[in-house]
Amino acid sequence: MPPAMADESRTGQMSAWVTPGRPTSAWSLFVETHPVLVFTLPAAAVVFVLMVFPVFYTVYMSLHSWFASSLTAPEFIGLQNFKRAFTQDERFRNAIWLTLYFTALATALQVVLGVSLALLLNRPFRGKGFFRSIFLLPMVATPVAIALVWMMMYNPTLGVMNYLVGLVGLGPYKWVSDVRFVIPALAAVDTWEWTPLITLITLAGLATLPLEPYESALIDGATPAQMFWRITLPLLRPTIMVALLFRSIDCLKTFDIIYVMTAGGPGFASETLNIYTFQVGLFYFHIGYASSLLVILFALVLGVSLILIKVRRGAW
Amino acid sequence: MRITRSLLAPVLIAGLALVSTAQAAQFNWQQFKGTQLRVLLNKHPWQQGIEPHLKDFEALTGIKLVAEVYPEDQFRAKTLVELTSGASSIDVFMSMPAQEGLKYMRAGWLQPVDAFLKDPSLTSPDYNWNDFLDKTREAMVVEGKLVGPPIQVENVALMYRKDVFQKYNVKVPTTLDELEAAAKALNGKPMTDDGQPGFGIVARGKRAAATSMFAGMLYAMGGTWLTPSREPAINSEEAIKAIDLWGRLLRLYGPPGSENNHWYEASSIFSQGKAAMYTDANSLFPVIEDPQKSKVVGKVGYALFPRGPKGQYGSTVAVWGLAMPKTSKNQKAAWLFMQWATNKDQVLKVQSERGVLGARESVWKDPKGKAKVPSDLGESLMLGSKVGTPFWNPPVVAVAEVRDAVGAAIVTSIQGGDVRAAANKAAADMKRIMAETEKK
Repeated sequence: MPPAMADESRTGQMSAWVTPGRPTSAWSLFVETHPVLVFTLPAAAVVFVLMVFPVFYTVYMSLHSWFASSLTAPEFIGLQNFKRAFTQDERFRNAIWLTLYFTALATALQVVLGVSLALLLNRPFRGKGFFRSIFLLPMVATPVAIALVWMMMYNPTLGVMNYLVGLVGLGPYKWVSDVRFVIPALAAVDTWEWTPLITLITLAGLATLPLEPYESALIDGATPAQMFWRITLPLLRPTIMVALLFRSIDCLKTFDIIYVMTAGGPGFASETLNIYTFQVGLFYFHIGYASSLLVILFALVLGVSLILIKVRRGAW
Repeated sequence: MRITRSLLAPVLIAGLALVSTAQAAQFNWQQFKGTQLRVLLNKHPWQQGIEPHLKDFEALTGIKLVAEVYPEDQFRAKTLVELTSGASSIDVFMSMPAQEGLKYMRAGWLQPVDAFLKDPSLTSPDYNWNDFLDKTREAMVVEGKLVGPPIQVENVALMYRKDVFQKYNVKVPTTLDELEAAAKALNGKPMTDDGQPGFGIVARGKRAAATSMFAGMLYAMGGTWLTPSREPAINSEEAIKAIDLWGRLLRLYGPPGSENNHWYEASSIFSQGKAAMYTDANSLFPVIEDPQKSKVVGKVGYALFPRGPKGQYGSTVAVWGLAMPKTSKNQKAAWLFMQWATNKDQVLKVQSERGVLGARESVWKDPKGKAKVPSDLGESLMLGSKVGTPFWNPPVVAVAEVRDAVGAAIVTSIQGGDVRAAANKAAADMKRIMAETEKK
């Protein structure tokens, strides 16, 4: 009796996979006996080739000096790239600072505005569904298109922003052309686009809040303000932390709006780490150095995420 | 007698015609019949102009063309990746030698065409290489080797509002001193359709993007990118004066926020009627003369970039050309294509149909060649392309990186910072970058 027949009689489910009457090959036998291995293999292979391998290759390249167009092979230089970044490269230091500045500013604005909006939208009022949908629209738009529109609005000569601030007696400002304004102006665009995400997550969190604490608070005679600070906010904290985690990871690696609007300018006043790495890698072709910058960015994102996750766990 | 004479004329003409066709017929366009050429084109007015005529080339030569067109960024990336792989099947590609020439040449990717041009069996006697404007030929030479023919030329030029200059009785600047005086005189004067004030001058100020226009100022001041021994010269006295003047013009008489202006922003301000002068590439004229978008159609003059204190010319001569990779297996057929695409007939067709700024003097003298281009633009282009500088980019391998270093100094100047310190830093950066990328 061929082994396959024995298998078939043993596991009734498997019979559908085996063509009746055909001798079963060693391969199908293998599939039947090792389903876990076989069915996860394609997914594992894709993850390995497209995600794991590039990460390790980037780390490997970060230890090399390679000017891509000179047709010379990469040269192993140990940690020289990192040493250069931290000790000699002013543009790198500037980029690290700007990345943190942009991230802190943008996420803070988004969390405050996003949570406030969610609380507003969580109350019953006429046209609630309509306003909810309206507030979600910015998130749906394409970042590059948004950046182009904002760029026109920020134009000091032709744009609408100077007209608007002029109405209340301010300005004119140079907006993204001003070294001092450029990061806040870019953070404003990011805030405009991504505040709805925080609103969305917070709304979901609000929907799951238990009613009992509020009932007992009412019985104890708590004011609405007390209920917000003592009940709603602590209960929402894990949700807000998740939203904060998403947004800060995204902000640390923001590329599209900055690249389209200023490409890191004026001068290098908005050149965040991701923009700088892009320049070094794809315009200057220093592949090794760009890889080391990416490793640093990776470490930065990982570090911030770990801290935030720890904070969230602590709050739980 | 009368009969003989009237008979003689047609005979003579017919005879001459026979001689010239015989000469042209000597050149064998069909010698590579059956070959297939892969041509990589950048999405560009020249490409749009030549594409409808490509079938004429196939009919003339029996060579089959496979043309691929990509938008500029993808085009550059694709060319670079294919050439890096060393196994490219490209036969001809569009190239700006001042942008990538040195890198490609040092990497050994470019096949020089000097030998093909000199070979009478490969170059038609009516090609007339010397018809190309002097500096456009020079602009196609990298490390002493000709990489191909130029297909389009542009210069940094002075575009100015004829009506505004006339109204306020200001002389169109021909020198840098006059340029500053005019910018000062016209800044803040009413100049839009509804009488709003405008700026004296507008130009690019965005880091790397500004450098290709600033090159005009640099050369007019008597400066250069590098000394003859290839040391950075961007902190020479002349260069510092040039960086200072570029920044001062934009800071004092230009629109606020010039630090972030690329050609798109700068040309928008100018075509909205909000500036009296605009220095940028003269190839932007279709934007300025577009009645759909521009409010200054027909009001703009196109002049040579002003000359320096010692009369130096500041025109830049930026060319797009055709080049062939060393790896092409059909180099002689590729040369036939380059030659056909840039012979007088083709240049005239593309220039007269599309207003593409060609590089042949005879075409600029032909009324058909001038038809789609403002007349003063044609004249200033002809002169500028003979006397200007082909070094609109620093002649280094790492062009993009050096442009960013120099651009940072220009931005500092616009912001009113310490120009000398910024120029010294730019020079130090250039030196480091060149040491890193031009080893050996």
